Amino acid sequence: MTPPQRQRRLPAQDPSGRPPVERAPVPGNPTGNPERLFVIGGEAGGERADIDLVTLIVARTEPPASATPEQAALLRLCVAPLSVAELSAYLSLPFSVVTVLLTEMLAAELVQARAPIVRQKVADRSLLEAVMHGLQRL
Amino acid sequence: MVSVESPPGHRQLPYARVLLLPAILMAAATGAAVAVVTEPARTAVGLCGALATFLVIVTGAEAVRRGRALRVARAEHARHSAYLERRIAGHDEEMARLVDEVLPAALHYMRRGNTPREVMLHLGDLDPSYADLHEPQRRLIRMVIEIIDHEEALRDSAARSFVDVARRVQAIVHQQNKELREMEEDHGRNPEVFDDLLRIDHGTALIGRLADSVSVLGGGRPGRQWPQPVALYSVLRGAMSRILEYRRIHLASIAKVNIKGTAVEPVIHAAAELLDNATRYSPPNTKVNVTATEVQTGVAIEIEDAGVNLSEESRLRIEGMLEAAKRGTDLQDLAGNPRLGLSVVGRLCTTYNMQVSLRASAYGGVRAILVVPSTMMTTEPGVGLAHGIGATSIPMPGPDALPGPARKPKKRRPTSPRIPATVSLEDDVPEVTEWTAGGLPQRRSRVKMPLSQRLAEQAAYEREEAEREAREAAERARDARWAAPASQPEPEKDEKEEPPPGMWVEAFWEGLKSGPAPDACTQSQPPHEPAHAPADDKGDLK
Repeated sequence: MTPPQRQRRLPAQDPSGRPPVERAPVPGNPTGNPERLFVIGGEAGGERADIDLVTLIVARTEPPASATPEQAALLRLCVAPLSVAELSAYLSLPFSVVTVLLTEMLAAELVQARAPIVRQKVADRSLLEAVMHGLQRL
Repeated sequence: MVSVESPPGHRQLPYARVLLLPAILMAAATGAAVAVVTEPARTAVGLCGALATFLVIVTGAEAVRRGRALRVARAEHARHSAYLERRIAGHDEEMARLVDEVLPAALHYMRRGNTPREVMLHLGDLDPSYADLHEPQRRLIRMVIEIIDHEEALRDSAARSFVDVARRVQAIVHQQNKELREMEEDHGRNPEVFDDLLRIDHGTALIGRLADSVSVLGGGRPGRQWPQPVALYSVLRGAMSRILEYRRIHLASIAKVNIKGTAVEPVIHAAAELLDNATRYSPPNTKVNVTATEVQTGVAIEIEDAGVNLSEESRLRIEGMLEAAKRGTDLQDLAGNPRLGLSVVGRLCTTYNMQVSLRASAYGGVRAILVVPSTMMTTEPGVGLAHGIGATSIPMPGPDALPGPARKPKKRRPTSPRIPATVSLEDDVPEVTEWTAGGLPQRRSRVKMPLSQRLAEQAAYEREEAEREAREAAERARDARWAAPASQPEPEKDEKEEPPPGMWVEAFWEGLKSGPAPDACTQSQPPHEPAHAPADDKGDLK
């Protein structure tokens, strides 16, 4: 009768080997909330905008009256550019839900996404050459 | 009805008057015959005539007597049958009273929690006239209420077992919900897994609603209790999450009220059933609009679909169904009823004093209005409206809930880099000590060395220093003693014994280099690279 139970994967191991203490729920973890996540984000049919954890999001408008609470909160948070990771943490929504929300809002042009500058392992050759020439000209 | 007495004008004539005429006729006939016949026959004829007259009188008298006896017997019979009919009517009346009055009263008394035996004992207390019922009637009442009691006990146990099974399903679903939520958070960064989890979550929510329905129909509670007030918006979203086509629901202008924790689940369930009806009986490409406005008695949730129009006849039928459900439904009546949800709504409305009504909608569909009474609302701050902001609580099961499967304490699995204790956690910020003339910082090369190493070095240096100090002090003391006799060979000796100034540092460095490499640990694991983790750990950080 007992269903199989799941061991949750959590980020750190207790070094002393004690059984971990029962943690208080993370503030913002909405266990007292009857909403399920799929109602908020919708089971996206796989269509997600190409958003990274570090993509910066800026609001373009004030929250419209028809916005859902999540959208309104997101727009209020994004008055200044904020990364998707931060949004996910503030809303305590998983990353995937936030991306679905953002995809909708990007389509509605409520927010703007700005891709981060990707730091490459090996610097761009043309850039290096430009630097070299610049240095030589000094 | 036959008259009991013979009519009053029908007097009984005396025998003499009745028999006089035949007697006279016979006597006259005899006299005439005697006069007519010849002399010798007269005596014989006279005798015969007298005899005949006598016989006629006797016969007549007998006939009259019999006639009278017959009349008396007939009257007696009429009286008797009238009496019997009266008795029958009395019995009928008594039966009717028994059925219309006594049995319902006895049943009502029994339904208040009395056993059949108690009912029979206290029958006289219900109404004094019930005390002098005849024994067969008492036996009949007793038998009827015992049968009913037995039936109800059977039905009760059936309903209880339903509710019991439903409770178990609810407990598992609850557990599943909790774990799914955790999984969704764990795998939040892996969209494929996440979407699959959402699908499972949705299915689980549907199962949970069915279990709740069974529980409600069996007379139990729907689901669990919520510890804190919940905003109506979240309640309606909770209702949305339990139906199949939640995407078609459009929430617009929901009143900002909070529902008490104990009342959250009934509202969710009733709203979910109404939403399910609305989406089920409307075209699949139409929206279902939900609004909630505050009214005098509470808050009215309107659910409007664009489905088929509700004719007056079917509206009456559905309202009748709701009414029947409000009165208390028999589980057996529900067999083959497609609109199970309405029975559930009716049941919930009775239990929690909510109002539900169905009207024709302006869109041409059905408009269901659920009025949640203000006793179920609260002014206390509820769980945050926007998801996840300010919600901190765990759901509490109701007092009669079965415990769900217990969960073992979680073991954490490392996904963050393991930093060895020997690695310095210092920032790699350049140490600025000097400034150039142009105002730019000048960087000094710095020995890259972990802090512990540096401390050890420092300690070793101090120890060395102290030793040197001590040695020098001893030297000086000895010098002072030997100063007068021999001061010459001393410097040479000094030169031999002690390395030249500065040499010890080199020796120290030598020793360090030959010992364990100072930056062994940094080489073994660069501090800022994550520890190796399996590929599926991608989703571990939310």
